Order: sequence, then structure tokens, then C-alpha cells
Amino acid sequence: MTRPIIPADPFKIHVPDHEIEDLKHRLEQTRFPNEPDGNEHWAYGSNLSYMERLISYWRDDFDWRQQETWLNSFPQFKTTLTDNNDQDHEIHFVYEKGSGDNATPLIMTHGWPSTFREFLDVVDRLAHPENHGRSGPAFDVIVPSLIGYGFSSLPRQPVGPAVIADLWHDLMTKVLGYDTYLAQAGDWGSFVTSRLALQHADAVRAIHLTMLPLRPDLRHESQPPVTEEESLWIRDMKKWWAGEEGYRSIQSTKPMTLAFGLMDSPSGLAGWLADKYYRLGDTDKSHTWEGMEARFPMDTLLTQLSIYWFTGTINSANTLYKAGPAEGSGLLKPGERVTVPTFYSEYPMDSLPITPRSWAMRGYNLQAFKIMEKGGHFAAMEEPELFADDVRDAFATIL
Amino acid sequence: MAAPTPFKVEISQPTIDAILAKVRAYDWHEMPEIAAGADRWAYGADMDYMKELCSYWTSSFDWRAVEEKLNSHPQFKATVDDQEIHFYHVKGSGSAPQPIILTHGWPGSVYEFLGVIDHLAHPEKHGGKEEDGLTLIIPSLPGYGFSGKPKKPLGPKRTAELWDKLMRETLGYDTYIAQGGDWGSVVSGFLACNHGLNVGGGCKAVHLNMWGARPSGVGPQTPEEQTWGQTAAFNFEMEGAYLRLQMTKPQSLSYAMMDSPVGVAAWITEKFNSWTDTRGPDGTEHIENAYTKDQLLSNIMIYLVTRTFNTSTWFYRGMFEEGGTDMAPGKKVEVPTAIACFPKEFIPFPPRTMVEKGYNVARWTEFEKGGHFAALETGPLFANDVAAFAAQVKG
Repeated sequence: MTRPIIPADPFKIHVPDHEIEDLKHRLEQTRFPNEPDGNEHWAYGSNLSYMERLISYWRDDFDWRQQETWLNSFPQFKTTLTDNNDQDHEIHFVYEKGSGDNATPLIMTHGWPSTFREFLDVVDRLAHPENHGRSGPAFDVIVPSLIGYGFSSLPRQPVGPAVIADLWHDLMTKVLGYDTYLAQAGDWGSFVTSRLALQHADAVRAIHLTMLPLRPDLRHESQPPVTEEESLWIRDMKKWWAGEEGYRSIQSTKPMTLAFGLMDSPSGLAGWLADKYYRLGDTDKSHTWEGMEARFPMDTLLTQLSIYWFTGTINSANTLYKAGPAEGSGLLKPGERVTVPTFYSEYPMDSLPITPRSWAMRGYNLQAFKIMEKGGHFAAMEEPELFADDVRDAFATIL
Repeated sequence: MAAPTPFKVEISQPTIDAILAKVRAYDWHEMPEIAAGADRWAYGADMDYMKELCSYWTSSFDWRAVEEKLNSHPQFKATVDDQEIHFYHVKGSGSAPQPIILTHGWPGSVYEFLGVIDHLAHPEKHGGKEEDGLTLIIPSLPGYGFSGKPKKPLGPKRTAELWDKLMRETLGYDTYIAQGGDWGSVVSGFLACNHGLNVGGGCKAVHLNMWGARPSGVGPQTPEEQTWGQTAAFNFEMEGAYLRLQMTKPQSLSYAMMDSPVGVAAWITEKFNSWTDTRGPDGTEHIENAYTKDQLLSNIMIYLVTRTFNTSTWFYRGMFEEGGTDMAPGKKVEVPTAIACFPKEFIPFPPRTMVEKGYNVARWTEFEKGGHFAALETGPLFANDVAAFAAQVKG
């Protein structure tokens, strides 16, 4: 343990009453779109009857103060860190100290369209396994809000995963005083966590991912030829993406063109994001909305959406899709590889084919490759017990 | 066959007031910092310009004046195969004016053509000859503006079928010329290909200002064609996101757009900025070198007062469900074709060698100025080219 050299201040969320009133007012004024015939299974995007249910619940039944109290039951802090381009960022994070004297620090990073809330159902399970009938190791759990997301600050100039990874390292070492630590993530968090492992291999003891984001340069001589299994998988992935990547395409080229509508309309924000939960979550897609509501209770989903709304961060969050590729940090340089021990668990996601193990090994020092039976892209929210056990069991093997 | 019903645009005051109230209440937010001198639209719609546009919108823009302009030419509605179609029908000067159907695209509207109507219908008033007058039919695409909203997406091939019926069965014109840019070029291309005179349809010639309907299986071959292919692919990567989205998940976007007039304004204004020749006399680019705020807002308001943003985006999905923009294998456009190349078109025509694999090119014009919304941007330049082509294929 080194001595922390940068302070952090305790933080509590408090949304002013007038902002809650303003949200209700906007929801009351909502003008819904019409819908093409044949959208019962969300083929054209977020289903209208689901959206009407969601918006009326948000307006009439959702209790933000209750959610706020729950969010504030986790110890939160804010600290200010400076990136390599001299830009200051205020970083919000949950910090739950683990049981016992030997808890290992673990930083968990969410992605889009999520928030730090994604991990709150597993904080206690990982910090205090004994409360949950588990005997494995305990962790000091650190859950930051990505830059431009939730209660972290909006960057003046967008930053990508490589810059965020350096900030996370400073958070872990200079603010919290750890010499070494573990990291876990999915989605954009998996980019940040992979960069963390690449850029700070001496401090990161191991990582656990639910998405493998770094792409190897297949033309480089260090890469073995593409196997038949891999080429079929690449083909199927491309086909799936062709139907799904519209949002990425907009957010990575012209996020501001989209921002004006999403920042003005809570139902617009909900419509843009709901489809991602439906599609990427492990939802029963044989129903119009029953499967969605079973997997993501409205209170859970609306807490996520309310965090985006109250913090006004959908624009800055979307812009990560432009800042990330601009940084080029998703591509491994020829010969580059994550050497830190990596645990990968793949949760079922829509009709996506299973990643070939050989592909995972190209970019990562793979310790384990697990296919999970249930839970989707938001596994920590969807299957907290399964997820927490998996992460704990994986890290236990190297502690 | 029911006769077309005369139509006038008459939007209720509460509809206008509700839109303006939302614009007025817009809660401005941040945008990424842009270095001095750098492109303020690099991340999409520019915040400063949107503020300026919205301030004009709520203080000076006069919808009733637009309405008057829209109503200054005869409009009709007709139902073709259950699809209600709004269109202008302007009889041309002379004893036997040639009918021509002009089709707009996305995010445009019939408004794009208002400025060239008189020029094309009554050339004698603009230094031309009376006998060159054209009878203009200017429809709103299905799901756009004052046309009816389809129950589910339909695309350009289906629209071409409707247009041929509108021209021949509803209006009684056995032969006609087709003109279009953007979706209009795809619809017009399919009119010429699938409903050309040579295959028993009524389309006798076609004038295009965008590379729309494409011959199947024809790719870039010569070095020149390959250079074009690279440019086109790059443009698509930078500009094609709206299309990727609208042809897959239009509904996910619609909740924001149908609830936010400023959201629609930003989505559309950015396209007008990106796809237009905005160069001023000194070479610097600004959207108002090409359009006035009144022009931009008139077109945007047509989407808002009719609540058609959502259904307009369905056309992309409709195209996708129809099997894309390729002509049937082995088919090409045999009727005379005019190609009008404007320099700032973001989907530029390939070299003539490649276009000729799909079209019987009878006229090829390269302009020094103008972009994607050629009729609105260049007015007389565009009109003169269309008129010259009509004269060329006369008789």
C-alpha cells in the first residue's frame, strides 16, 4: 500500500425537486410515434406498447427518491484527476471495503447504455461473501462512473478508453493507495480494462471480462492463420451487426446530430436505449413485453434511464463511440497482446454465435474461457448471484 | 378510379403553437469543444447554429407565409392501391406540354421543387419558349409530408409502381418523363427500368441527379471507376450512419424525434449542411451560403406539422425489405437518360463508363456548383438542365 496523494470527497446523490417535477412534466407531455405493423418482436426497434407501459410507469409509479436512497446506501466519492492532455476530470465512484484484512482491490467498469448502477447488486456479494453463504476471497470493490457518464464529469474534449485507463490507474494508486489490483468489465468497460492491462501490466494482477474487445491485426506475421471456425464466426458476427449497428454508426460519426432529440425527450432517451436492453439482455423474446419486464424490472431500467436523464449525460456517453475509435485503442498493434492473466466468461446475447476460444487467445493471456448458461450483456444486473460467484471463483485461482 | 381531390395545406394554429412552445422551452446542453477555425459540425449538428436557427424559428419564422407559398400551386390527393398520394399538378404552357414527374427524397419534401415550378411549366416567362412548357406532377413520397402514412414500410420499387399508375391511370398521361434526386433518383430509376416505354410502362425518359437504382452485379473495374468506388465507400462511412440506422431500427429513433421538434431540426439540418455546396464567394463554407433559415425551416416544418418523421424513415427499411436498390439481374434502363452531376453530391455518379452499364445515357452534364438538393440549391441551373433534356427527347 502506498500513501494516497490525491484526496477524494464523500458524495451523495441528490436530484433537486424541480428536476424531478420537470421530468414528470415532460413525461406527461410525451407524444408517441406510430409504429409499423409487424413490430411485436421489436424487429423495427423499441416496441410501442412496451414503451407506453414504461413511460406511464416512469410518470406515475416510479419513485426516484426511493432509488436515490438505495443508491446512496453505497459509499460514494468524487475525486479530480488530470489526464495526459491536462484535462481535469471529476470522477465519481462507489468504494466498498471488503471484509477482513486481506481484501483484494477490484475495479469494475460499466459500459453503454449502462451506469455504475449495473454493479450495485454484486457489490455486497463480492465485498462480503460471508453475508451470502460464500467462503471465497473478499474484495475492496471500486465502481467508477465512466468519464461523461452518470455522476462523473462531462469532458470538454471527449476521451477514449486509453485515457480513461490511465485515470483509473491513478484512481487506484494515487487516490486509493493500492500498488496492485484486479479489474472486471464488459462493453466499453472491457476496452478500458483491456487498456488498463496493456498500459499498467505491472499493477494489474488479473482481469475478468464479459466481452473481448481488442482486435488483433490478422495480417501480421505473429498471428496464426484464421481457422475455419473463426472465419464462420466472423461472418456470422458481421451479419448480426449489420442489423444492429445503426446506433453505433450514428454515435461514432455524428453523435451531436442525435443529441438534440435525446436530451429534449425522456421518452426519446428511453426509446433509444430500451431496444438495447431487449436485444442484448437475456430476455425471452417470444413476447412483446413480458420477457423484457421479467428480465429488467421497470424500477431497475428506469433507475438507469433516470441517471442518464438527471445527469444530462446521454450526449457525452454516446460520444465515447467517436472518441474511442479516434484514439485507435481498440486495435492491438502488431505483436501486442494482453499479458495479464485474463478470465473470460461469455453470456448468451441474442442470436450471437459463440466466440472461438482460439480468437480469445490471440489477444489475451487466457486463463479460463467459460460459456455461461444465462444472463446477457448486463450480466451483473441480470444474474447477480451467478455473476458474483463466477468473478470470485475466477480470481480465487490466482490469489 | 376516383378522380383526384383538390387539396390545400391548412395546419391548425394549436399544432403550430405546440411546436413553437417546445422549441422555445428547449434546454440547451453542451457539445464537445471545437478548436478555433476547425469544423464546428465535426460531431454532427453544430450547437451554435442550432441555437441561432431556433431563435429565428420562434421569433421570425412565419408558417402561414410558407403555407401560402405551398398553396400557390394546384395540389391534389389521389388514392392509388390504397396509398393516399399528395401531389402538385401544374399544367404547362403551350399546346401539348410534356408531363414530367419530379420526385423528392429524404430529408427533403415537395418544397425542394417550389422554386423551379414556374420556370419549368412556363418557360416563356423565363426567357424560354412557350412550346417547351412542361406539365409538372410533384408527389410527396408515401409516408412523407401530405401523403398518407403506410401501415408498414414500403420502398422505391413499390413507389415506382404507384407512380406509374398515378401518371397513366389516375391522370391519364400515357407517357411521361421522370426526374429525381435522393430517393427520387431511386424511384425514377425504377420507373425507367421497370415501367419504361420499352417494357409496357409509361416512362419515356429519365433525368437523375443522384446515383440511385443500380445495375445488378456491376462493380468498379477501370482504375477511374475504382477511385470513384473508394471515394463512395469513404463518403458512406462518414455520412451513411443515418441510413444504417433508418433501414434497420427506425422505431428506436422515432420516440425522440416524434417528441422533439428541435431533435428533428438537428437531424435534418445537419444533412442539409453536410450534403450541400455551402461554399461562399470566398470559398469558406457556411450553410447560409446555400439556404436561408426560412428555407431550412419550411422543409423541417413539413415533417413536423404532418408528424411524418417516423414514416419518412421507414422508406429505408422498405428499400431493405424490397431487396435493395439494384435493378433485377440482367435489366437496365433502355429509355434515354440524363445524368446531372453536381460537385458536392455525397453519393456521386461513377464514371460514365460504369453508368452506361445500367443506363442509356443520352445527356451528361457536370455542374460547377451545387450538391444533393440540386433543385433547391441551384434553382435555374437545375431547371435549365431538366428543360434542355425534355426538349432533347421531345417528339
